[in-house]
Amino acid sequence: MNQPSPRNILRWFDPRHRQPGTWAFILNRITALGLTLYLAMHLIVLGKLAQGPAAYDSFVALAHSPLVKIGEMLVIAAGILHGLNGLRVAITSLGFATRYQRQLLWASTILSGILILIFARAMFLGG
Amino acid sequence: MPTLWKITLEILRQRQNQPPHVELFELEVDPDENVLDCIERVWAFHDRSLTFRHACHHSTCGACGMRVNGVEKLTCITPVREVTHPNGVLRVEPLRNFPVLSDLVVDVSGFFQRMEQTQLSSIAPLSQAKLPFEPNPPTIWQGQRLIDCIECGLCVSACPAANTSTSYFGPAVLAAAQHVYRQTNNPTVMQLVNCADGLWRCHSAYECSAVCPSNVDPAWRIMDMRRATVAHSLRNIFKRPNQKVAP
Amino acid sequence: MTQISHPSNPKEPLGLWLFKIITGPIILVILTIHFLVNHLLAPNGLLTYAEVIAYYKNPIVPIMEIIFVCFAVAHSLTGLRGIVLDLNPSQRILRIFDWLLLILGSTAILYGIWLALTIASA
Ligand code: HEM
Ligand code: SF4
Ligand code: FES
Repeated sequence: MNQPSPRNILRWFDPRHRQPGTWAFILNRITALGLTLYLAMHLIVLGKLAQGPAAYDSFVALAHSPLVKIGEMLVIAAGILHGLNGLRVAITSLGFATRYQRQLLWASTILSGILILIFARAMFLGG
Repeated sequence: MPTLWKITLEILRQRQNQPPHVELFELEVDPDENVLDCIERVWAFHDRSLTFRHACHHSTCGACGMRVNGVEKLTCITPVREVTHPNGVLRVEPLRNFPVLSDLVVDVSGFFQRMEQTQLSSIAPLSQAKLPFEPNPPTIWQGQRLIDCIECGLCVSACPAANTSTSYFGPAVLAAAQHVYRQTNNPTVMQLVNCADGLWRCHSAYECSAVCPSNVDPAWRIMDMRRATVAHSLRNIFKRPNQKVAP
Repeated sequence: MTQISHPSNPKEPLGLWLFKIITGPIILVILTIHFLVNHLLAPNGLLTYAEVIAYYKNPIVPIMEIIFVCFAVAHSLTGLRGIVLDLNPSQRILRIFDWLLLILGSTAILYGIWLALTIASA
């Protein structure tokens, strides 16, 4: 309970009484798992391309629903958040700008927000 | 006469190998008292069987670390005013990531053994005791002073990477290794922490530096030690085999 | 009293950690290029088979995609291994998991390269 145990796995994702650094860690881990799942699905789906035009085009028609669009948007958002926060983690992990990790966190979050809005606009309003 | 606050002290109690339960104590306290004073009050006037650790009462011994309303605190220097409000709740729990012996007492022996392995000396020359980016004290005195880490274990309790496995060294040990390495360049210390349970387990949540009551900045020290270890290993690649230095 | 264990085997050597940390930013760079190229070469998106085939006629595209799949798979699987290490696996389970990741990773990378080349030559 109070002691370390692999069964505490859900506690990784408990944001209560934590400060922003852990929230970033939680988000980084969730988006990482999501992106990994997406990468696997993406590679499998693209296999349709090797099966020629008929297979691919009928699949794309099927996938052209609003639900899939929202899903794609989630993947883009996850990629942006994981990528920019990952950049911060990579830099500070090597002892560079470590004292400014909190400021870098705000900067990466704000930049992520802006980029996500730009992509959402392009996706749902067509530019 | 200061205005007293009515508060509810919720203490997580536990006998070894039994499930924990919460006990409530209604207290009237001066908000400028410290949380440890409230706990001692409970022990003195309500329940003699309550167990907890403390010694110095002035943030030097590191024994009184607990979780107060979910956050790791050195209870002897945490005023009630800062952690609750009139008619509020004060929930006190033992530190996480250590085995609970009873009530608020946790087993820190494994932690202390690891600290010892780093060969950290508790005193250091003035210039080496502080963090390198701290401004120099306005004095020409060239003495020794106590180093900052009081081995309270708050950082170990707060670290999210420490909560799934007992084998992780935790922030304080890694920070201690950095401190020793920067003082001595001793490669054994680098070897000690250059492993999965050491430097490479940290996931940059920076909780340790947020809760450390004593200006150690363990997260900064971990990252600095990583840089030293990576630099050392990269330099080793370009050395001839007979010049290589462990690790 | 707690008995501390002495790690005999560095389960995540420095190299693997460094690899995970460095491949991340590399992916970020490739992804940025990817979006720029995509925007320049296919401003209307790649919604039909014919469009994709035309897009892959530019040699930058398959090269870029192959580099991307290599780094993305490698980064993501070293990342997964890092998560599993946090669960304190036994040496035996970790060894099995390492083989699993190695097989999965090389399959995914070979498949990705094959796919990019197939499309490029279609
Ligand atoms: C876009 C650029 C990316 C950057 C800069 C980046 C950076 C990072 C960094 C620095 C970590 C280490 C975090 C830690 O130790 O806590 C990490 C972890 C991880 N990344 Fe990425 N990454 C990127 C893209 C991706 C992609 C596309 C995937 C999946 C397909 C991915 C999957 C993972 C996984 C599974 C982890 C382990 C998560 C964890 O330990 O909590 N990353 N990434
Ligand atoms: S590094 Fe800070 S929080 Fe950790 S044991 Fe030392 S004094 Fe306590
Ligand atoms: S009682 Fe010594 S540090 Fe709190």
